[in-house]
Amino acid sequence: MGSRRPLALFIGLAAWLGVVSTAGPLTTEAERQQTAPAVELPNRPGSLKFAVIGDFGNGSRQQTEVGALMARLRARFAFEFVITVGDNIYGGDRPQDMRRKFELPYKALLDSGVKFYASLGNHDDRAQARYSLFNMDGRTYYTFKPPTGDVRFFALETDYLNAPQVAWIEKALASANERWKIPYFHHPLYSSGKRHGSHQDLADVLEPLFLEAGVSVVFAGHDHFYERTKPQKGIVHFVIGSGGQLRKNGIDRRTGLTAVGFDTDQAFLVAEIDGDQLYFNAISRLGTVIDSGVIERRKPE
Amino acid sequence: MPRPQSARRPSRLTGVLAALVLTAGSPTAAALRTAPVVTAQDPAPRVNPDAKAIAEFQKEVAEYVDLHRRLASTLPGLAKNASPAAVFEYQQTLGRLIQQARKDEGVGHVFTRAARPVLRRLLYGLFTGPNGSRLRDAVMEENPGETVKLVVNGRYPDTFPLSSVPPQILKALPPLPAEIEYRFIQTSLILLDLDAHIIVDYLTGAVPR
Repeated sequence: MGSRRPLALFIGLAAWLGVVSTAGPLTTEAERQQTAPAVELPNRPGSLKFAVIGDFGNGSRQQTEVGALMARLRARFAFEFVITVGDNIYGGDRPQDMRRKFELPYKALLDSGVKFYASLGNHDDRAQARYSLFNMDGRTYYTFKPPTGDVRFFALETDYLNAPQVAWIEKALASANERWKIPYFHHPLYSSGKRHGSHQDLADVLEPLFLEAGVSVVFAGHDHFYERTKPQKGIVHFVIGSGGQLRKNGIDRRTGLTAVGFDTDQAFLVAEIDGDQLYFNAISRLGTVIDSGVIERRKPE
Repeated sequence: MPRPQSARRPSRLTGVLAALVLTAGSPTAAALRTAPVVTAQDPAPRVNPDAKAIAEFQKEVAEYVDLHRRLASTLPGLAKNASPAAVFEYQQTLGRLIQQARKDEGVGHVFTRAARPVLRRLLYGLFTGPNGSRLRDAVMEENPGETVKLVVNGRYPDTFPLSSVPPQILKALPPLPAEIEYRFIQTSLILLDLDAHIIVDYLTGAVPR
Protein backbone atom coordinates (compact mmCIF):
# COMPACT_ATOMS: atom_id res chain seq x y z
CA MET A 1 0.00 0.00 0.00
CA GLY A 2 1.30 3.38 -0.85
CA SER A 3 0.07 6.02 1.52
CA ARG A 4 0.20 9.44 0.03
CA ARG A 5 -0.64 12.89 1.14
CA PRO A 6 -1.03 15.06 -1.88
CA LEU A 7 -3.82 16.91 -0.22
CA ALA A 8 -1.76 19.50 1.54
CA LEU A 9 -3.25 22.12 -0.71
CA PHE A 10 -6.72 21.19 0.38
CA ILE A 11 -5.79 20.94 4.01
CA GLY A 12 -4.15 24.31 3.65
CA LEU A 13 -7.38 25.61 2.26
CA ALA A 14 -9.20 24.18 5.22
CA ALA A 15 -6.69 25.84 7.50
CA TRP A 16 -7.25 29.11 5.70
CA LEU A 17 -10.92 28.67 6.36
CA GLY A 18 -10.04 28.22 10.00
CA VAL A 19 -11.20 24.68 10.38
CA VAL A 20 -8.04 22.70 10.99
CA SER A 21 -8.62 22.56 14.70
CA THR A 22 -9.85 19.08 15.37
CA ALA A 23 -10.40 19.45 19.04
CA GLY A 24 -14.12 19.64 18.52
CA PRO A 25 -15.04 23.21 19.43
CA LEU A 26 -18.54 24.35 18.74
CA THR A 27 -18.92 25.43 15.16
CA THR A 28 -21.11 28.27 14.08
CA GLU A 29 -23.59 27.82 11.30
CA ALA A 30 -21.53 30.16 9.17
CA GLU A 31 -18.46 28.04 9.68
CA ARG A 32 -20.35 24.91 8.85
CA GLN A 33 -21.65 26.44 5.67
CA GLN A 34 -18.22 27.34 4.40
CA THR A 35 -16.60 24.10 5.44
CA ALA A 36 -16.84 22.02 2.36
CA PRO A 37 -14.61 19.04 3.10
CA ALA A 38 -11.48 18.68 1.07
CA VAL A 39 -11.55 15.79 -1.32
CA GLU A 40 -9.24 15.10 -4.18
CA LEU A 41 -9.01 11.37 -4.85
CA PRO A 42 -9.04 10.62 -8.55
CA ASN A 43 -12.80 11.41 -8.49
CA ARG A 44 -13.06 9.85 -11.92
CA PRO A 45 -16.27 9.33 -13.84
CA GLY A 46 -17.39 5.72 -13.79
CA SER A 47 -15.52 4.69 -10.66
CA LEU A 48 -17.27 3.27 -7.62
CA LYS A 49 -17.68 5.86 -4.89
CA PHE A 50 -19.01 5.14 -1.43
CA ALA A 51 -18.83 6.32 2.16
CA VAL A 52 -18.38 4.52 5.47
CA ILE A 53 -19.72 5.49 8.89
CA GLY A 54 -19.87 3.69 12.20
CA ASP A 55 -21.05 4.08 15.78
CA PHE A 56 -23.20 7.01 14.87
CA GLY A 57 -26.85 6.66 15.91
CA ASN A 58 -26.99 8.67 19.10
CA GLY A 59 -28.94 11.65 17.86
CA SER A 60 -26.22 14.06 18.92
CA ARG A 61 -25.37 17.41 17.40
CA GLN A 62 -22.06 15.94 16.28
CA GLN A 63 -23.80 13.15 14.40
CA THR A 64 -26.00 15.67 12.63
CA GLU A 65 -22.96 17.75 11.71
CA VAL A 66 -21.21 14.74 10.23
CA GLY A 67 -24.35 13.91 8.25
CA ALA A 68 -24.59 17.44 6.93
CA LEU A 69 -20.93 17.45 5.97
CA MET A 70 -21.34 14.19 4.10
CA ALA A 71 -24.22 15.68 2.15
CA ARG A 72 -22.17 18.73 1.22
CA LEU A 73 -19.25 16.60 0.19
CA ARG A 74 -21.46 14.56 -2.07
CA ALA A 75 -22.04 17.61 -4.23
CA ARG A 76 -18.41 17.29 -5.32
CA PHE A 77 -17.79 13.60 -4.75
CA ALA A 78 -20.92 11.75 -5.76
CA PHE A 79 -20.76 8.63 -3.62
CA GLU A 80 -23.55 6.23 -4.47
CA PHE A 81 -24.17 4.64 -1.11
CA VAL A 82 -23.04 4.42 2.49
CA ILE A 83 -22.04 1.27 4.35
CA THR A 84 -22.39 1.29 8.11
CA VAL A 85 -20.15 -0.67 10.45
CA GLY A 86 -22.68 -0.99 13.23
CA ASP A 87 -24.03 0.67 16.32
CA ASN A 88 -26.51 2.33 14.03
CA ILE A 89 -29.03 3.15 16.73
CA TYR A 90 -28.11 3.53 20.38
CA GLY A 91 -30.80 2.99 22.99
CA GLY A 92 -34.33 2.22 21.84
CA ASP A 93 -35.40 1.40 18.29
CA ARG A 94 -38.84 2.92 18.45
CA PRO A 95 -40.03 4.83 15.39
CA GLN A 96 -39.10 8.14 16.99
CA ASP A 97 -35.61 6.79 17.69
CA MET A 98 -35.10 5.77 14.10
CA ARG A 99 -36.19 9.20 13.01
CA ARG A 100 -34.06 11.17 15.46
CA LYS A 101 -30.95 9.01 15.27
CA PHE A 102 -30.96 8.17 11.58
CA GLU A 103 -33.55 9.72 9.31
CA LEU A 104 -33.02 13.31 10.38
CA PRO A 105 -29.21 13.39 10.59
CA TYR A 106 -28.94 11.91 7.08
CA LYS A 107 -32.06 13.46 5.61
CA ALA A 108 -30.22 15.31 2.86
CA LEU A 109 -28.46 12.13 1.78
CA LEU A 110 -31.61 10.02 1.95
CA ASP A 111 -33.58 12.64 0.06
CA SER A 112 -31.01 12.63 -2.70
CA GLY A 113 -31.34 8.86 -3.13
CA VAL A 114 -28.25 7.67 -1.25
CA LYS A 115 -28.76 4.13 0.04
CA PHE A 116 -27.41 2.88 3.32
CA TYR A 117 -26.31 -0.74 3.65
CA ALA A 118 -26.07 -1.48 7.34
CA SER A 119 -24.28 -4.04 9.41
CA LEU A 120 -25.25 -4.55 13.03
CA GLY A 121 -23.28 -3.76 16.17
CA ASN A 122 -23.74 -4.79 19.76
CA HIS A 123 -25.99 -1.80 20.44
CA ASP A 124 -28.32 -2.69 17.59
CA ASP A 125 -31.57 -4.55 17.97
CA ARG A 126 -31.66 -7.38 15.42
CA ALA A 127 -35.01 -6.01 14.30
CA GLN A 128 -33.04 -3.34 12.44
CA ALA A 129 -32.53 -5.97 9.75
CA ARG A 130 -36.18 -5.30 8.83
CA TYR A 131 -35.79 -1.55 8.67
CA SER A 132 -36.21 -0.63 5.03
CA LEU A 133 -33.70 2.23 5.01
CA PHE A 134 -30.93 -0.14 6.09
CA ASN A 135 -31.46 -2.32 3.00
CA MET A 136 -30.78 -5.58 4.81
CA ASP A 137 -33.90 -7.38 3.56
CA GLY A 138 -34.42 -9.00 6.93
CA ARG A 139 -30.94 -10.53 7.00
CA THR A 140 -28.34 -9.88 9.65
CA TYR A 141 -25.56 -10.88 7.27
CA TYR A 142 -25.67 -10.52 3.53
CA THR A 143 -23.79 -9.53 0.44
CA PHE A 144 -24.44 -7.00 -2.28
CA LYS A 145 -22.86 -5.92 -5.49
CA PRO A 146 -23.16 -2.28 -6.43
CA PRO A 147 -24.06 -1.52 -10.04
CA THR A 148 -20.72 0.19 -10.59
CA GLY A 149 -17.35 -1.48 -10.38
CA ASP A 150 -16.05 -5.00 -10.05
CA VAL A 151 -16.75 -5.05 -6.34
CA ARG A 152 -18.76 -7.08 -3.85
CA PHE A 153 -19.46 -6.15 -0.25
CA PHE A 154 -20.08 -8.58 2.61
CA ALA A 155 -21.89 -7.38 5.73
CA LEU A 156 -21.30 -9.61 8.74
CA GLU A 157 -22.84 -9.76 12.19
CA THR A 158 -19.73 -10.18 14.31
CA ASP A 159 -21.68 -9.90 17.52
CA TYR A 160 -22.96 -13.40 16.90
CA LEU A 161 -20.70 -15.20 14.48
CA ASN A 162 -22.38 -18.59 14.62
CA ALA A 163 -21.66 -21.66 12.52
CA PRO A 164 -24.23 -20.97 9.79
CA GLN A 165 -22.81 -17.48 9.33
CA VAL A 166 -19.24 -18.74 9.16
CA ALA A 167 -20.27 -21.33 6.59
CA TRP A 168 -22.09 -18.66 4.64
CA ILE A 169 -19.20 -16.18 4.50
CA GLU A 170 -16.77 -18.92 3.54
CA LYS A 171 -18.97 -19.94 0.65
CA ALA A 172 -19.87 -16.40 -0.33
CA LEU A 173 -16.25 -15.28 -0.49
CA ALA A 174 -15.19 -18.38 -2.38
CA SER A 175 -17.94 -18.05 -4.96
CA ALA A 176 -17.58 -14.31 -5.52
CA ASN A 177 -15.95 -13.54 -8.84
CA GLU A 178 -15.49 -9.83 -8.28
CA ARG A 179 -11.97 -8.49 -8.13
CA TRP A 180 -12.67 -6.55 -4.95
CA LYS A 181 -14.22 -8.35 -2.00
CA ILE A 182 -14.87 -6.01 0.88
CA PRO A 183 -16.11 -7.32 4.24
CA TYR A 184 -17.49 -4.88 6.74
CA PHE A 185 -18.78 -5.43 10.25
CA HIS A 186 -18.72 -4.04 13.74
CA HIS A 187 -15.94 -5.59 15.81
CA PRO A 188 -12.47 -4.86 14.46
CA LEU A 189 -10.08 -7.74 14.02
CA TYR A 190 -7.31 -5.22 14.62
CA SER A 191 -7.65 -2.05 16.62
CA SER A 192 -5.55 0.03 18.96
CA GLY A 193 -8.50 0.90 21.13
CA LYS A 194 -7.78 1.26 24.79
CA ARG A 195 -11.37 0.29 25.49
CA HIS A 196 -11.94 -2.61 23.09
CA GLY A 197 -8.93 -3.25 20.89
CA SER A 198 -8.38 -6.21 18.57
CA HIS A 199 -10.78 -9.15 18.55
CA GLN A 200 -8.55 -12.15 18.23
CA ASP A 201 -11.46 -14.56 18.71
CA LEU A 202 -12.96 -13.23 15.49
CA ALA A 203 -9.64 -12.94 13.67
CA ASP A 204 -8.98 -16.63 14.33
CA VAL A 205 -12.09 -17.49 12.33
CA LEU A 206 -12.35 -14.74 9.73
CA GLU A 207 -8.81 -13.78 8.85
CA PRO A 208 -7.90 -17.08 7.15
CA LEU A 209 -11.01 -16.77 5.01
CA PHE A 210 -10.16 -13.20 4.06
CA LEU A 211 -6.60 -14.10 3.19
CA GLU A 212 -7.63 -16.98 1.03
CA ALA A 213 -10.21 -14.88 -0.80
CA GLY A 214 -7.78 -12.08 -1.57
CA VAL A 215 -9.46 -9.48 0.60
CA SER A 216 -7.46 -6.25 0.61
CA VAL A 217 -9.38 -4.02 2.96
CA VAL A 218 -11.77 -4.47 5.88
CA PHE A 219 -14.02 -1.87 7.48
CA ALA A 220 -15.06 -2.08 11.14
CA GLY A 221 -16.06 0.18 14.03
CA HIS A 222 -16.77 -0.44 17.74
CA ASP A 223 -13.85 1.62 19.03
CA HIS A 224 -14.95 5.22 18.92
CA PHE A 225 -12.24 6.80 16.82
CA TYR A 226 -10.69 6.59 13.37
CA GLU A 227 -7.77 4.28 12.73
CA ARG A 228 -6.10 2.82 9.69
CA THR A 229 -3.82 -0.04 10.58
CA LYS A 230 -0.59 -0.94 8.97
CA PRO A 231 -1.32 -3.90 6.69
CA GLN A 232 -1.90 -7.01 8.77
CA LYS A 233 -0.86 -10.05 6.73
CA GLY A 234 -1.39 -7.82 3.75
CA ILE A 235 -4.86 -6.57 4.68
CA VAL A 236 -5.53 -2.98 5.71
CA HIS A 237 -8.05 -2.67 8.53
CA PHE A 238 -10.02 0.50 9.10
CA VAL A 239 -11.75 1.37 12.34
CA ILE A 240 -14.40 3.97 11.59
CA GLY A 241 -16.22 4.18 14.88
CA SER A 242 -16.75 7.87 15.43
CA GLY A 243 -19.70 8.81 13.24
CA GLY A 244 -21.51 10.18 16.28
CA GLN A 245 -19.75 8.69 19.28
CA LEU A 246 -16.22 9.67 20.24
CA ARG A 247 -13.70 8.40 22.74
CA LYS A 248 -11.12 11.13 22.96
CA ASN A 249 -7.58 9.85 23.28
CA GLY A 250 -8.94 6.36 22.88
CA ILE A 251 -6.07 5.12 20.74
CA ASP A 252 -3.24 3.26 22.41
CA ARG A 253 -0.26 4.43 20.37
CA ARG A 254 1.92 1.63 21.69
CA THR A 255 0.23 -1.23 19.86
CA GLY A 256 2.34 -0.78 16.76
CA LEU A 257 -0.76 -1.34 14.65
CA THR A 258 -1.54 2.23 13.77
CA ALA A 259 -0.65 3.74 10.43
CA VAL A 260 -2.87 6.76 11.08
CA GLY A 261 -5.14 7.38 14.02
CA PHE A 262 -7.50 10.20 14.89
CA ASP A 263 -9.30 10.35 18.21
CA THR A 264 -10.08 13.96 18.88
CA ASP A 265 -13.24 14.45 16.85
CA GLN A 266 -15.92 12.57 14.92
CA ALA A 267 -15.01 11.29 11.47
CA PHE A 268 -16.21 9.35 8.45
CA LEU A 269 -14.57 7.93 5.36
CA VAL A 270 -15.15 8.20 1.65
CA ALA A 271 -13.62 5.78 -0.81
CA GLU A 272 -13.32 5.28 -4.52
CA ILE A 273 -12.45 2.11 -6.37
CA ASP A 274 -10.99 2.54 -9.78
CA GLY A 275 -9.46 -0.58 -11.28
CA ASP A 276 -7.05 -2.14 -8.82
CA GLN A 277 -6.82 0.91 -6.61
CA LEU A 278 -8.96 1.95 -3.68
CA TYR A 279 -8.54 5.62 -2.83
CA PHE A 280 -9.75 6.94 0.47
CA ASN A 281 -10.15 10.11 2.45
CA ALA A 282 -10.99 10.11 6.13
CA ILE A 283 -12.63 13.38 7.04
CA SER A 284 -13.29 14.90 10.42
CA ARG A 285 -16.54 16.49 11.51
CA LEU A 286 -15.03 19.87 10.77
CA GLY A 287 -14.02 18.97 7.25
CA THR A 288 -10.36 18.29 7.74
CA VAL A 289 -8.81 15.44 5.80
CA ILE A 290 -7.22 13.41 8.55
CA ASP A 291 -5.99 10.57 6.39
CA SER A 292 -5.81 9.75 2.72
CA GLY A 293 -4.13 7.23 0.52
CA VAL A 294 -4.51 4.47 -1.99
CA ILE A 295 -4.64 0.71 -1.42
CA GLU A 296 -3.59 -1.68 -4.12
CA ARG A 297 -5.77 -4.73 -4.55
CA ARG A 298 -4.23 -7.93 -3.24
CA LYS A 299 -4.32 -11.04 -5.34
CA PRO A 300 -5.83 -14.18 -3.79
CA GLU A 301 -3.35 -16.51 -2.11
CA MET B 1 -39.22 -9.71 13.91
CA PRO B 2 -39.43 -12.77 11.69
CA ARG B 3 -36.33 -14.69 10.81
CA PRO B 4 -33.39 -13.46 8.85
CA GLN B 5 -33.47 -15.26 5.55
CA SER B 6 -29.99 -16.53 5.99
CA ALA B 7 -30.70 -18.38 9.19
CA ARG B 8 -31.56 -22.02 9.52
CA ARG B 9 -34.80 -23.37 10.86
CA PRO B 10 -34.25 -26.77 12.36
CA SER B 11 -37.38 -28.70 13.17
CA ARG B 12 -38.03 -30.22 16.55
CA LEU B 13 -36.79 -33.57 15.36
CA THR B 14 -33.61 -32.20 13.86
CA GLY B 15 -33.07 -30.20 17.02
CA VAL B 16 -33.14 -33.32 19.11
CA LEU B 17 -30.99 -35.18 16.63
CA ALA B 18 -28.56 -32.31 16.58
CA ALA B 19 -28.08 -32.71 20.28
CA LEU B 20 -27.18 -36.32 19.76
CA VAL B 21 -24.59 -35.63 17.10
CA LEU B 22 -23.20 -32.39 18.44
CA THR B 23 -20.56 -30.62 16.51
CA ALA B 24 -17.33 -32.53 16.34
CA GLY B 25 -14.67 -30.98 18.47
CA SER B 26 -16.95 -29.49 21.08
CA PRO B 27 -16.58 -30.60 24.68
CA THR B 28 -20.07 -32.01 24.61
CA ALA B 29 -19.26 -33.97 21.50
CA ALA B 30 -16.27 -35.45 23.26
CA ALA B 31 -18.52 -36.58 26.05
CA LEU B 32 -20.92 -38.11 23.58
CA ARG B 33 -18.20 -40.03 21.82
CA THR B 34 -17.59 -41.94 25.02
CA ALA B 35 -21.18 -43.10 25.20
CA PRO B 36 -21.41 -46.88 25.52
CA VAL B 37 -22.51 -48.88 22.53
CA VAL B 38 -26.06 -50.05 22.88
CA THR B 39 -26.99 -53.32 21.29
CA ALA B 40 -30.31 -54.97 20.77
CA GLN B 41 -29.36 -57.58 23.33
CA ASP B 42 -28.96 -55.08 26.17
CA PRO B 43 -31.90 -55.41 28.50
CA ALA B 44 -31.79 -51.76 29.57
CA PRO B 45 -29.96 -49.54 27.08
CA ARG B 46 -27.56 -47.22 28.84
CA VAL B 47 -27.61 -43.60 27.80
CA ASN B 48 -24.89 -41.05 28.32
CA PRO B 49 -26.44 -38.77 30.92
CA ASP B 50 -24.88 -35.63 29.39
CA ALA B 51 -26.27 -36.44 25.98
CA LYS B 52 -29.65 -37.12 27.49
CA ALA B 53 -29.58 -33.81 29.34
CA ILE B 54 -28.66 -31.88 26.22
CA ALA B 55 -31.35 -33.67 24.24
CA GLU B 56 -33.82 -32.65 26.91
CA PHE B 57 -32.67 -29.04 26.63
CA GLN B 58 -33.01 -29.20 22.86
CA LYS B 59 -36.51 -30.58 23.22
CA GLU B 60 -37.52 -27.67 25.43
CA VAL B 61 -35.97 -25.25 22.95
CA ALA B 62 -37.92 -26.86 20.13
CA GLU B 63 -41.14 -26.63 22.10
CA TYR B 64 -40.54 -22.97 22.80
CA VAL B 65 -39.87 -22.26 19.16
CA ASP B 66 -43.01 -24.16 18.18
CA LEU B 67 -44.96 -21.87 20.47
CA HIS B 68 -43.21 -18.83 19.06
CA ARG B 69 -44.02 -19.83 15.49
CA ARG B 70 -47.60 -20.71 16.33
CA LEU B 71 -48.18 -17.33 17.94
CA ALA B 72 -46.33 -15.48 15.22
CA SER B 73 -48.53 -17.10 12.61
CA THR B 74 -51.56 -15.43 14.18
CA LEU B 75 -50.11 -12.00 13.47
CA PRO B 76 -50.09 -10.15 10.18
CA GLY B 77 -46.85 -10.92 8.39
CA LEU B 78 -44.01 -8.47 8.61
CA ALA B 79 -42.32 -7.44 5.40
CA LYS B 80 -38.60 -7.91 4.99
CA ASN B 81 -38.41 -4.17 4.63
CA ALA B 82 -40.85 -2.69 7.08
CA SER B 83 -41.32 0.65 8.72
CA PRO B 84 -39.91 1.14 12.21
CA ALA B 85 -43.47 1.47 13.51
CA ALA B 86 -44.47 -1.86 12.00
CA VAL B 87 -41.37 -3.59 13.34
CA PHE B 88 -41.89 -2.15 16.81
CA GLU B 89 -45.57 -3.06 16.86
CA TYR B 90 -44.83 -6.60 15.74
CA GLN B 91 -42.19 -7.03 18.42
CA GLN B 92 -44.45 -5.71 21.15
CA THR B 93 -47.45 -7.79 20.10
CA LEU B 94 -45.53 -11.02 19.76
CA GLY B 95 -43.84 -10.38 23.08
CA ARG B 96 -47.21 -9.96 24.80
CA LEU B 97 -48.58 -13.13 23.24
CA ILE B 98 -45.59 -15.15 24.36
CA GLN B 99 -45.72 -13.66 27.84
CA GLN B 100 -49.40 -14.60 28.15
CA ALA B 101 -48.83 -18.10 26.88
CA ARG B 102 -45.87 -18.66 29.19
CA LYS B 103 -47.13 -16.81 32.22
CA ASP B 104 -46.69 -19.87 34.40
CA GLU B 105 -43.18 -20.66 33.23
CA GLY B 106 -40.30 -19.86 35.52
CA VAL B 107 -36.56 -20.00 35.42
CA GLY B 108 -35.20 -23.39 34.46
CA HIS B 109 -38.01 -24.38 32.15
CA VAL B 110 -35.72 -24.53 29.11
CA PHE B 111 -32.39 -24.76 30.88
CA THR B 112 -33.62 -27.87 32.63
CA ARG B 113 -32.30 -29.20 35.90
CA ALA B 114 -30.37 -31.92 34.11
CA ALA B 115 -28.98 -29.62 31.40
CA ARG B 116 -27.77 -26.89 33.71
CA PRO B 117 -24.71 -28.68 35.17
CA VAL B 118 -23.76 -30.04 31.75
CA LEU B 119 -23.81 -26.59 30.16
CA ARG B 120 -22.00 -25.01 33.08
CA ARG B 121 -19.30 -27.66 32.83
CA LEU B 122 -18.99 -27.10 29.11
CA LEU B 123 -18.63 -23.35 29.54
CA TYR B 124 -16.25 -23.75 32.45
CA GLY B 125 -13.99 -25.76 30.19
CA LEU B 126 -14.00 -23.03 27.60
CA PHE B 127 -13.48 -20.12 29.97
CA THR B 128 -10.67 -21.82 31.82
CA GLY B 129 -9.06 -23.31 28.71
CA PRO B 130 -6.09 -22.05 26.69
CA ASN B 131 -8.03 -19.09 25.23
CA GLY B 132 -10.31 -18.73 28.20
CA SER B 133 -9.32 -15.25 29.29
CA ARG B 134 -9.77 -13.97 25.74
CA LEU B 135 -13.22 -15.51 25.52
CA ARG B 136 -14.12 -14.15 28.90
CA ASP B 137 -12.98 -10.66 27.88
CA ALA B 138 -15.13 -10.86 24.77
CA VAL B 139 -18.18 -11.94 26.70
CA MET B 140 -17.75 -9.37 29.43
CA GLU B 141 -17.03 -6.50 27.05
CA GLU B 142 -20.00 -4.14 27.32
CA ASN B 143 -21.83 -6.86 29.18
CA PRO B 144 -24.84 -5.09 30.68
CA GLY B 145 -23.99 -6.52 34.08
CA GLU B 146 -25.94 -6.59 37.27
CA THR B 147 -28.00 -3.54 36.43
CA VAL B 148 -30.22 -5.80 34.32
CA LYS B 149 -32.73 -7.75 36.36
CA LEU B 150 -33.14 -11.19 34.88
CA VAL B 151 -36.80 -12.09 34.48
CA VAL B 152 -38.11 -14.98 32.42
CA ASN B 153 -40.38 -13.53 29.71
CA GLY B 154 -39.11 -10.05 30.61
CA ARG B 155 -38.12 -7.66 27.86
CA TYR B 156 -34.40 -7.31 27.24
CA PRO B 157 -33.75 -3.68 28.13
CA ASP B 158 -33.61 -1.45 25.08
CA THR B 159 -30.92 0.76 26.51
CA PHE B 160 -28.37 -1.98 27.07
CA PRO B 161 -26.05 -3.39 24.44
CA LEU B 162 -25.91 -7.10 23.76
CA SER B 163 -22.91 -9.03 24.91
CA SER B 164 -20.92 -10.51 22.08
CA VAL B 165 -20.78 -14.28 21.95
CA PRO B 166 -17.50 -15.48 20.45
CA PRO B 167 -17.70 -18.04 17.64
CA GLN B 168 -15.73 -20.53 19.71
CA ILE B 169 -18.48 -20.54 22.34
CA LEU B 170 -21.27 -20.74 19.80
CA LYS B 171 -19.56 -23.69 18.19
CA ALA B 172 -19.41 -25.55 21.48
CA LEU B 173 -22.95 -24.88 22.70
CA PRO B 174 -25.88 -26.85 21.32
CA PRO B 175 -27.12 -25.17 18.16
CA LEU B 176 -30.29 -23.11 18.37
CA PRO B 177 -33.08 -22.39 15.92
CA ALA B 178 -32.86 -18.95 14.35
CA GLU B 179 -35.60 -17.50 16.54
CA ILE B 180 -33.42 -17.46 19.65
CA GLU B 181 -29.83 -16.67 20.52
CA TYR B 182 -27.44 -17.20 23.38
CA ARG B 183 -26.30 -14.05 25.13
CA PHE B 184 -24.64 -13.27 28.42
CA ILE B 185 -25.78 -10.93 31.13
CA GLN B 186 -23.14 -10.63 33.80
CA THR B 187 -22.23 -14.27 34.43
CA SER B 188 -25.55 -15.72 33.30
CA LEU B 189 -26.22 -17.28 29.94
CA ILE B 190 -29.59 -16.22 28.56
CA LEU B 191 -31.79 -17.35 25.71
CA LEU B 192 -33.01 -14.29 23.87
CA ASP B 193 -36.06 -14.35 21.61
CA LEU B 194 -35.03 -12.09 18.76
CA ASP B 195 -38.46 -11.28 17.38
CA ALA B 196 -40.10 -10.60 20.70
CA HIS B 197 -36.94 -9.24 22.36
CA ILE B 198 -37.66 -11.14 25.55
CA ILE B 199 -35.58 -13.37 27.79
CA VAL B 200 -36.79 -16.94 27.35
CA ASP B 201 -34.75 -18.42 30.18
CA TYR B 202 -31.42 -17.98 31.88
CA LEU B 203 -28.65 -20.03 33.42
CA THR B 204 -26.80 -18.50 36.32
CA GLY B 205 -23.13 -19.23 36.96
CA ALA B 206 -22.34 -19.73 33.30
CA VAL B 207 -19.14 -17.68 33.40
CA PRO B 208 -16.81 -18.67 36.22
CA ARG B 209 -15.92 -15.72 38.43
